[in-house]
Amino acid sequence: MNFVAPDFMPVLPEIFVLTMACLVLVVDVFLEQQQRHITYGLAQVTLLATALLLLLTFARVPVTTMFGHYIKDAMGDLLKFCICLAAAAVFLYSRDYLRQRDLFKGEYFVLGLFGVLGMMIMVSAHSLLSVYLGLELLSLSLYALVAVDRDSPVGCEAAMKYFVLGSLASGMLLYGISMVYGATGSVDLQVIADVIAKQGTSNLVLVFGLVFLVVGLAFKLGAVPFHMWLPDIYQGAPTSVTLYIGSAPKLAAFALLMRVLVDGLGAFQNDWQQMLIILAVLSMALGNLVAIAQTNIKRMLAYSTISHVGFLLLGILAGTPEGYSASMFYAIVYVLMAVGAFGVILLLSRTGFEAENIDDFKGLNDRSPWLAFIMMVVMMSMAGIPFMAGFYAKWVVLQAVINIGFVWLALVGVVFSVVGAFYYLRVVKCIYFDKPEQSESISISRDVEIVISANGLLLIILGLYPTALMTWCSTALLN
Amino acid sequence: MLILVAMGLLLIVTLIPFLGAILVAVLARLGRTHAAWAAGFTVLLSFGCLLPLAGAPFAGETIIQRLRWLPSVGLDLAFRFDGLGLLFALLILGIGLLIVLYASYYLSERDPLGRFYAYLLLFMGSMLGIVLAENLIQLLIFWELTSLSSFLLVSYWYPREEAHNGARMALTVTGAGGLALLGGFLLLGQIVGSYELSVILQAGDAIRADPLYRPMLVLVLLGVFTKSAQFPFHFWLPNAMAAPTPASAYLHSATMVKAGIFLLARLFPALSGTDEWSWLVGGAGVITLVLGALFALFQHDLKGLLAYSTISHLGLIALLFGIGTPLAAVAGVFHIINHATFKASLFMAAGIIDHETGSRDMRKINGLWRKMPYTGALAMVAAAAMAGVPLLNGFLSKEMFFAEAFSAATHLRLGWLLPAAVTLAGMFAVAYSLRFIHDVFFNGDPIDLPRTPHEPPRWMKVPMEVLVLLCLVVGIFPAQVVEPLLTVASTAVLQGPPLAHDLALWHGVNPALAMSVIALIGGGLLYWGRKPLFAFHDRHTEGLDAERIYNALLNGLFAVSGALTRWLDTGSLQRLLTVVIAAALVLGTAGFLGDPVPLTGRRPLLSVDGVSLVAALGLLAALTGVVVLHRQRLVALILIGAVGLVMALIFVKFSAPDLALTQLAVEMVTVVLLLLALYFLPPHSPIESTMTQRSGHGILAVAGGVGAAALTWAVLTRPYDSITDFFLANSVAGGGGTNVVNVILVDFRGYDTLGEITVLALAALGIYALLEGLRLDGPVDDPKGQPWDADVHPAIMAALARLLLPLALLVSAFIFLRGHNLPGGGFIAGLLTAAALIVQYLANGIAWGQERLPWNAQRFIGVGLLATALTGLASLLVGYPFLTSAFTHLHWPVVGDFELASALVFDLGVYLVVVGATLLILIRLGLLHRFERRSARARQGTAVSGEMP
Repeated sequence: MNFVAPDFMPVLPEIFVLTMACLVLVVDVFLEQQQRHITYGLAQVTLLATALLLLLTFARVPVTTMFGHYIKDAMGDLLKFCICLAAAAVFLYSRDYLRQRDLFKGEYFVLGLFGVLGMMIMVSAHSLLSVYLGLELLSLSLYALVAVDRDSPVGCEAAMKYFVLGSLASGMLLYGISMVYGATGSVDLQVIADVIAKQGTSNLVLVFGLVFLVVGLAFKLGAVPFHMWLPDIYQGAPTSVTLYIGSAPKLAAFALLMRVLVDGLGAFQNDWQQMLIILAVLSMALGNLVAIAQTNIKRMLAYSTISHVGFLLLGILAGTPEGYSASMFYAIVYVLMAVGAFGVILLLSRTGFEAENIDDFKGLNDRSPWLAFIMMVVMMSMAGIPFMAGFYAKWVVLQAVINIGFVWLALVGVVFSVVGAFYYLRVVKCIYFDKPEQSESISISRDVEIVISANGLLLIILGLYPTALMTWCSTALLN
Repeated sequence: MLILVAMGLLLIVTLIPFLGAILVAVLARLGRTHAAWAAGFTVLLSFGCLLPLAGAPFAGETIIQRLRWLPSVGLDLAFRFDGLGLLFALLILGIGLLIVLYASYYLSERDPLGRFYAYLLLFMGSMLGIVLAENLIQLLIFWELTSLSSFLLVSYWYPREEAHNGARMALTVTGAGGLALLGGFLLLGQIVGSYELSVILQAGDAIRADPLYRPMLVLVLLGVFTKSAQFPFHFWLPNAMAAPTPASAYLHSATMVKAGIFLLARLFPALSGTDEWSWLVGGAGVITLVLGALFALFQHDLKGLLAYSTISHLGLIALLFGIGTPLAAVAGVFHIINHATFKASLFMAAGIIDHETGSRDMRKINGLWRKMPYTGALAMVAAAAMAGVPLLNGFLSKEMFFAEAFSAATHLRLGWLLPAAVTLAGMFAVAYSLRFIHDVFFNGDPIDLPRTPHEPPRWMKVPMEVLVLLCLVVGIFPAQVVEPLLTVASTAVLQGPPLAHDLALWHGVNPALAMSVIALIGGGLLYWGRKPLFAFHDRHTEGLDAERIYNALLNGLFAVSGALTRWLDTGSLQRLLTVVIAAALVLGTAGFLGDPVPLTGRRPLLSVDGVSLVAALGLLAALTGVVVLHRQRLVALILIGAVGLVMALIFVKFSAPDLALTQLAVEMVTVVLLLLALYFLPPHSPIESTMTQRSGHGILAVAGGVGAAALTWAVLTRPYDSITDFFLANSVAGGGGTNVVNVILVDFRGYDTLGEITVLALAALGIYALLEGLRLDGPVDDPKGQPWDADVHPAIMAALARLLLPLALLVSAFIFLRGHNLPGGGFIAGLLTAAALIVQYLANGIAWGQERLPWNAQRFIGVGLLATALTGLASLLVGYPFLTSAFTHLHWPVVGDFELASALVFDLGVYLVVVGATLLILIRLGLLHRFERRSARARQGTAVSGEMP
């Protein structure tokens, strides 16, 4: 039988990343340890070139290819662009950290690139098959990344837990996918939507499928009560990996929710709205409350992530274009904040010392005023303090929720933001008002300093002038 | 251009302090005076920019300037300039300028002056942003910014413990209040449909009638009360006295604490006029008024006295707005002006005293009149204004206040309580003002002060002089000095025509005058008899402390958080899995119950026949066996093999011989694989959990199983469109084979198969790489102490196995060749070949096998992959897309008609990869323990090498 080749052009960025990842993998094998910077350089070139490629081929109209499994649209391109830049920043921040710990190996970068590929596929998924494909590619890379420091018992335990729980969640997701497929006869999200529109929403199998899809997605997002892997993994993984897990994948997860719930199962909005409300409220409540008691900053940020996921869900459950773009804005800003926060933690760590505890930030202002300032900006932005990007992110999401008449939900969000502000500001207090416990100065490479400065300043700039990004988000979702 | 500037003038006014803050921070490196001049210049510049607009409010206009900012969320930068804005802007800029001057003398050489001015200007800009905002959200943003910049100011001396404690408390309380305010504004915006003040102020009736009015009012008032230190949120203000005194003079008298009052005034037309408003605002106001005055008297710290007095006066203003009559609002606005002037000057006096004596304890600083008479005179005038002595500004507004308080409650039962409380507060105000004067400037000699007091530098007194002069001028010539400003401000507050009010000094003998007289005399008496009161206070008022509640709340929050962490965050994987599965079950059940659809679908059920029944029972028995006997690993493995066997039979029953064959072969290879792994494990799994845990997990497992079964039932009983028909129709026509499964594998889904075997090859190589160099200790003896394998390779088994090999290979060749049309194919044939070879290795030992089959398995894999890839590329050569298959029929002698499809080569590749990968994996696993075994055997004297167990 004749095999009809699909149009490969829209998939060009993914193909490029795949090729480069394989190339890096092979090249790395032939490098000596002191030449490892070549691997690093290649990985960075790949990410930046992909970002450029995405800009050059930015989708004006949505195109589907690969037999309907893949879609290239503006939302996807914007998110993928952000993913590439975030991953590039992650690699940059991690470089010196990995070097000091003898982890500066090809694995980190190759797995990182494959993870990026997985995220890109998730973002562009137009069928449940590619959803799963991307998700697993990302997850498998992450499992391995968590254990990249093979001699660390904590890291291995975290990886093991992550793997077991992640497999369970993947199983549930697959279960859901199979049921949706069974009920609609297709994995193509567009076809699924059409079939549901025709046959109505009173199909028990479909409802079950939806439930399991939501469970699987909630797990990957880290929404309560499927959040429990998050603190252990954030804390147990090497910080450079935590940085990776905590940043770009959230964008992919957002895209996944959009594709599956909104595009594919939009007809079930009433059902998933209920579920997402529960998840969102629980996430905001538990994340913010438990974060207060944490003394380990990575663990604290893990719980903070959970609460941010709750906020992210608020925008999506609003079910309006306004809500979606609010969520997208939130996701992008969140990634910017997470990269900044973990980036500073990475920069404070040095050989034989992990800046893991909140106490390690004491008196940071005396040791490095500029880093202290950036950390303060990040923390204030996470807390949602005005004139920081985080404030607008929260604001637009709440606005979207109010506009569909869920004022109480917005108030819940506000209340837990207050609780949340408390522990972020505690870090700021540590930085500025406590006596430093160590006096060693902090040395940062020039390029890292430039990027982390840009990172922090971007949060202020987006806080003062969020319109551009906001407009991108809403127009990207429109077409 | 000019018009553009004029259009954005209010923005510029607000922005200048922010830019100035940066400028000052930079210039501070050049020296202290530079910073002071730059700060002063910034304030003047901002003031200058405001001047061109200042005429408008007096002409009855409200200027609204709008700049597009965030059109996507409906947020513009909108500024509003009316009488109220003008009044506050004057206070902020005017007193701000005096503070800049004052601070340059107050702060010592060691204090970084630039930082102070930078924070001060930040704060000033934020404050201007509040009072000039047209948009509520914009107002809120600046509101939060004042909290932040005041945090920076209060914690200016941050190495001091009380400085950052006080700052943190202030920030927590006001910041939390700000978020409550955000909630309130969101609701207000929801009610009105706009965040613009010009819309909201016109929509008062609609707002008051809305069902959301109450929650909205409560949230807004929470913001107001926290900011303006109203009871029960007043406790942060005394703690914030750790700030440098210039900051206190600015923030805690004239500006920040007035922000809440400003908002009351701003929203007065929209929110006031209901019982809720009167009770909440008035109630909080009167309690704050009385308590503040009461506490103020008992403070020994000079600034503490002023802080509580500020609280009391803020309560007074809140009460005036709470009373809600237009005249009361006018009085409130008037008192805002008066309080700002006299309280700022008093703070400055306190600062000077602190600066010159090194102490603020009123028990130590006495008799300063002789040392610093000039400062003393100024402070006395200001304190008299605070007490409400005639001919000073405080008297006028207090008189209006007494009049309003008297008339407001007369119609109520127990209405006399309000004037009584107000008079009581007045008495205390007189008493603490007296204390401020008498204790500090008279009352004997100073007691061991750190420094010898003397008059401060000339220019340090100027700001105070200006303010005290204002107190006097306003007090004596109110109609000429303050009347116009008060009128426009009141007009803006009331959003109505100017109200007739009389600022005369003498209103005749009326209740207000009587109250004033009582307050003055009573206050004097109260101060006279203060000693027993102080003693009483020291004994009894420990418990009345909202700060404790704040701390208790804070500790409670920590406790809840800690408890949640201990409960949920245990790090146990079992716990995590339990939660995930339980949550999934709950959600699934909810989804099921939420939908009134029957579980069973419409599809007719097949009848049960005997064979199926037996198979099903066998399956169940085997599964039960696995569950019950899972601790005996070998038994459990055999039972799992049985399960696989029944599965294969089920495939046969449903006419899928291909699948059955595959299942069978895979089952065999898997069991061998597991056996190899089992070798390294103890024969029994230990029991690691308690009975309760196990029963809990058992229940969860049963529930999960029932759920999954129900789902399977639901899916299987529903009709579906099968894709079988397409393949049945196209198999021969498109792929040239009648075995649909095989055609799918090598043709329709050739791409997938190519991918799959690549993955298989990768997996084999990966396992090879992982196991390379790895040596594990296997058990040498069984539990009874006998050697594990007394007879490593039984001769009979070895002989039989060798006999089996040619037969097995023949069968696999047969199955391979018929594959395209009949059950079979490369995959199954590969597994069969691999199994046949593995049997040889098992029976005769790996060394024996490797002697006879010297080429390593990687070669199989490589050749196989190459074959499949080349098949695909061949079609490209002929001009067809990759992997297009072709077939033709050959007539062979003897065999007869034989179909030759390009897919056959492809299938051969699959076959080779499967054989290679399986062999590679199993042999590698078998080799794991080779050297350990050898050494163990060597000790026993019988060297055997390279056996599989």
